[in-house]
Amino acid sequence: MDDALKTAKNCRHYAMCKIDYLGSGVCPSGLEKYYDSFYPRGRMALYAALVEGRIPVTQKAVEIAESCDLCGKCDYQCYFYTELRPSRVMEALKDFVSRHLSEGGAVEQAPEDPLLQQIRAIVGEEWAENDRGIAVTYSRDPCPIAAPQMPAYVVLPRTREEVASLVKLLRAAGVSWAVRGNASQNMGLSMSTGAVIDLNRMTGIEFDEKNWVAKVGAGVAMFDLQREAVRRGYRVNAAEPTALVCGNVVCSGIFSTFMPAYGTAADNFIDADFVGPDGSLFSLSDKSAPNLFAFRQADEPTPGICTGMKVKLHPTTPDETGVLVPFDSLGKALAFVKDCAVRRIGVALAVLGSEYISAFLSPTKSLAAEVKKIFAEKLGIPYLALVIGDSHAIRSVAEMGVPAFDQRLFRSIFLGLPSLRSARWLELLGELSTHEPYSYLNIKGFAEMAEVALAPSPAQLLRDVDADLRPFFETVYARPEMTDLVWLNTFRILSSRMGREKQYWVNIVYLPLEGALIEEIESEFRRVAERHGLKHDLGFVTPLDGGKRCILEYDYFYDQTDPDEIARVQRGAMDAGAVIMEYSAKLGTIRWIRHVVNQGISRKENLLYT
Amino acid sequence: MNGSEGGIPAKGVGERTFVLTGGTGFLGSHLMAALIGRGDRVVVLGRASEGKSLSDRIGALLDWFGLERLRDRLETIESDLMKPLLGLEADRYAALCARACPVIHCASDTRFSERKRREITEANVHSLAGIVGLAKDSRAPFFHYVSTAYVVGTGTAVTLCREELSDSGEFANVYEETKAQAERQIAAECGRVGIPFTIIRPSIVYGDSRTGRSIRFNALYFHLKSLEFIRDIYLSDLRTNGGRKSRDHGVSLDENGNLRLPLRVFLPRRGKIDLVPADYFVAACLRIIDHPRSGAVYHVTSESPKDLGELASYCERYLKIRGLEIIYGEPDGIALSPPEALLNRFIETYRPYLADGRQFDRSHTDEATGGLRAPELTYEIFKRCMDYAVSVNWGSGLRSMRTD
Repeated sequence: MDDALKTAKNCRHYAMCKIDYLGSGVCPSGLEKYYDSFYPRGRMALYAALVEGRIPVTQKAVEIAESCDLCGKCDYQCYFYTELRPSRVMEALKDFVSRHLSEGGAVEQAPEDPLLQQIRAIVGEEWAENDRGIAVTYSRDPCPIAAPQMPAYVVLPRTREEVASLVKLLRAAGVSWAVRGNASQNMGLSMSTGAVIDLNRMTGIEFDEKNWVAKVGAGVAMFDLQREAVRRGYRVNAAEPTALVCGNVVCSGIFSTFMPAYGTAADNFIDADFVGPDGSLFSLSDKSAPNLFAFRQADEPTPGICTGMKVKLHPTTPDETGVLVPFDSLGKALAFVKDCAVRRIGVALAVLGSEYISAFLSPTKSLAAEVKKIFAEKLGIPYLALVIGDSHAIRSVAEMGVPAFDQRLFRSIFLGLPSLRSARWLELLGELSTHEPYSYLNIKGFAEMAEVALAPSPAQLLRDVDADLRPFFETVYARPEMTDLVWLNTFRILSSRMGREKQYWVNIVYLPLEGALIEEIESEFRRVAERHGLKHDLGFVTPLDGGKRCILEYDYFYDQTDPDEIARVQRGAMDAGAVIMEYSAKLGTIRWIRHVVNQGISRKENLLYT
Repeated sequence: MNGSEGGIPAKGVGERTFVLTGGTGFLGSHLMAALIGRGDRVVVLGRASEGKSLSDRIGALLDWFGLERLRDRLETIESDLMKPLLGLEADRYAALCARACPVIHCASDTRFSERKRREITEANVHSLAGIVGLAKDSRAPFFHYVSTAYVVGTGTAVTLCREELSDSGEFANVYEETKAQAERQIAAECGRVGIPFTIIRPSIVYGDSRTGRSIRFNALYFHLKSLEFIRDIYLSDLRTNGGRKSRDHGVSLDENGNLRLPLRVFLPRRGKIDLVPADYFVAACLRIIDHPRSGAVYHVTSESPKDLGELASYCERYLKIRGLEIIYGEPDGIALSPPEALLNRFIETYRPYLADGRQFDRSHTDEATGGLRAPELTYEIFKRCMDYAVSVNWGSGLRSMRTD
C-alpha cells in the first residue's frame, strides 16, 4: 500500500480539518462547498475509493480534486491530532485524476434521476447530488461495527422547512435516510443506502444573553459555538470540538469534564426544534410535543432531526484555573473527585488515565509512549485528577492536602516534555515518593526548579515534529491557551489526541460513583481487552449530579485498516457490552451509552435514576 | 550484658556451614561473599523476585563479587519466612534442620517510609517467628541478628549508647522502631528456647573502602546524588539555555569551571554522621561470629564519625561546586531558594543521621574484633566510592541484581 493510500485509509473521521482550532484557517473549498467531499477528510475517502477501484472517476471527483489548492492547512490540523499528513493524499488525488484525464480516461456523469430533481427543487440545484464521487465520501465510517453503505443521494438542506419537506419527500418515495454531522467515527449511525442528510449548511448562532441561551442551527460545531460563547464571556458545556451541537445532544447528550457543574442530557438546553420522522414540526417545549424527556433503557429509534437548539450559557470568572492531582491508584483518584463533587468544588472534574494525558501532552506518538511510561514508572502517576475552578475552589483543593501540578508546573512539564525523558532527577523524586507520594509537588519553588530543569519552550517540545511543520506549531504553542488547562478543557482539545496511535472503541457507562464498583468494572473491561489482545486504557471518569453518579469511558484501541484487529475489537466490544448488561441487570443503577443513543435529550434524572 | 556465655564453635573457620537470610541484600551479600571466600559454606534462604529465581539472583551477585568459581559453596533455598516451615515441604525443612547450622539473619526491610509500616513490620518483626523457629527446630549453635546502631532511638537523653538492649520508645522512623522491636523479640525467644544469640548493630554502611564498590547507593550516596542532580540542572541551563534562570538563582560558573551554587542545608543541631565501609562491617562481623558471646550486643560503628561540614567539603570538591553551607537551626522564616528547598526536601529522610549526637560504646566489639577499627572516611575513600557509584550510574547499571 502506498503512503498516500495508507494515510487516506487511516483518516480517523474526527473532522478536525473542519474547524479552525489552530488558528490556521480551514480548507477554503470546504467552506465554500459545504459537502464533506470538499474537505480533506472527503478527499482522503475519495482517493482511497478511486485507487481501490470502488468508483470510477466522476465529474464531481474531478471537481473535488481540482478544488484543492494544496495550501497545506490540513497538514497542520491533522498532524496535531493524528500525526498524519493529508496534503500528500491531496497531491496524490490530484495526480491520479490529472493522469486519468491526460490519458483520455472516461469521466462518469451522474445519471438523470427524477427524485434528485424533486430534492433539488427543495434545497436548490447545487445542494443535492447523486454523483458517486460525492456519495462515496459519505459511505464509510471507521466504526468497527459499521458496514459501508453507499448512499444514493447526499443532500444539504439549509432551513428547518427544507428538512421537513425533504423528510416528507423521502418518506413518500420510500427512501431511507440518515443524518450526517461531523465527527462520525464511533457509532456507525451516519450512513444509509438511501439519502444522507448533511446538516453543515445550517450554521446560524444567535445569542440571547438576557435569557442565557445561544440559539444554534443544526450545522454548528461545538468548537465554533464555544468560541463565540467565550468571546462574550460565557461557556457552554461542549462535547468534542467537531461534534455538531444538536446532533451530539440528540445522539448521546453532551459529556465533558464540566458535567459536574453543567450536567448532561436535557440539562444543557432550554428548547430544541425537531422535524419528526414523518416530516412534522415540533419543539420540545410545546405542550403537544412528543415526550422526548423520558428515558427507556432500550435501543430507541431516531426521534427525528433536530434542526436547532437553545443551548444554555454559563457564566465564568476571570480567576478560573486548573490543577492536576496525581494518584497511584484509581480508587484514591475516584475518592478524591467524589469528595470534590459532593462538596461542589470546581466546575470541571475528572479522573484521567495516563493514556489520555500522555497522548495529549506529546506532539508525537513515540514521545507519548515514552511519557506514558515516565508517568507510570518514574513518577508513579497512572492517574491524574483534573480540577478546574475559581480561586476559592483551587484553594479548597490545596486545603484538602493533596499535592498537585498547578498551571505553571503543567505548562513547564508540557513544553519541557522531551527533557523529561532524560531528567535524572526524576529518580530522586521517585525515591521521595516512596516516603510520601508526590510530596515534591509541595516543595516551595518546585515549579521554578522544573522550569530550570526542563527548559520549557515550544521549540523544545516540538523537536521531534516534522521539520517543515515546526515553525507553524511553534507559533501555536507560544499561545497561552495551548497550555492552559481551562482553555483546553473548555474547547475539549485535551482529549483530541486519544485516537492518534490507533482508532478507538469507547465503552461508556453511567454508574454510581463508587470506587470499588468502578474498579471492578474497569478490571472487567481490562480482562476483556487482554483476552482479545487489544491495547486498552481508562479514558476518564467524570462525576455527575453532585457525585451521586459518574460517566466512565474505557477505550479499546485498534488499527482501523487491519481486518484482524477490527475482528478482535468487534468481539471485545460485544464482550464488554455483555459485562455492562450483566452489571446493569444485577444492580439496576447502570446505564449503557448504547441505550442513550437517540435519547440524549432525555431528562438527566430520567436517564440516571429511572 | 545479658545472656550466658556461648562457646567457640566446634568447627574452625572455613569449615562451617551457615544459614543466611538477606543474601541478596547489601550487607547480607557482602557477608555471604566473605564467608564463602574463606572456605565456609552458606545456605541462602530467600525469594525469587521479578521473575528471577533466588539462584539466579545469587548468581548475579557472585558475578559481581568475582566469586563464580565458589558457586559450589553456596546452596539456595527459595523460602518464605512468613509461612509455616518457611514455606518448605516438611521433608525439606527437616533436612535443613538436621544440618544444625548457625543462623545469620540479615534480611530486613530498610525503608523508612511510614506509609509502608505494615510491610516493614511484616518483614522486620512478623517474619522472626519463622527464622527463630528454624534456629530452634535445628538446635542451631548460634543465632546472629544484624540490626542497626540506631535502635537506641532519638528520645534518649543518653549520648553514649551502650551495647545492650534498648527500651527507648521514640524513633526517627519505622525502620528503627521495628529493628528495636525485633531485637527484643529475638532476645526473649532465643532466651526462652535456649539458643545462644548475638545482636550486631552496624551504623551507616557504605561501599568497600578499598575498591569503592557497592551494590546499594542510598544513605551517604543519596546526598551526593541529590547535589549532583541539582548541579546538572544548572549546568544544563548555563550550557544550553543561556543560563537566565541560573542567574536569577545566583548560580554561575567561575573561571576554574566550578559552579557557584549557593545552597544552605539546615540541620537542627551540631552533630556527626557515623559511617563505616562494607569491608570493615564484614571483617568485624566475621570476628564476632567466630568469637560470639551469647546475649552480647555489638556496635559496628566508627571511632571517628564525620562532621557534616567536612562531608559537605568532600561533596563540593567532588562535584566541583562551591557554596554549600551548613546552618544549624530551623529555616523558620528564612526564604529558601528553589534549589535549597529541593535539596532540603531530598535529604529530609536522612536528617536525623546527619547531625547525630549519639556516641556508641564499642567495648564488646573491640573485645571480639581485637580492636579492629573502621578506616576513616578520607576524601580518597569518598572519591573511590563515588567514582564507582557514578560509573554504574547510581546503581541503574546494576539493574540485573537489584536487591529490593
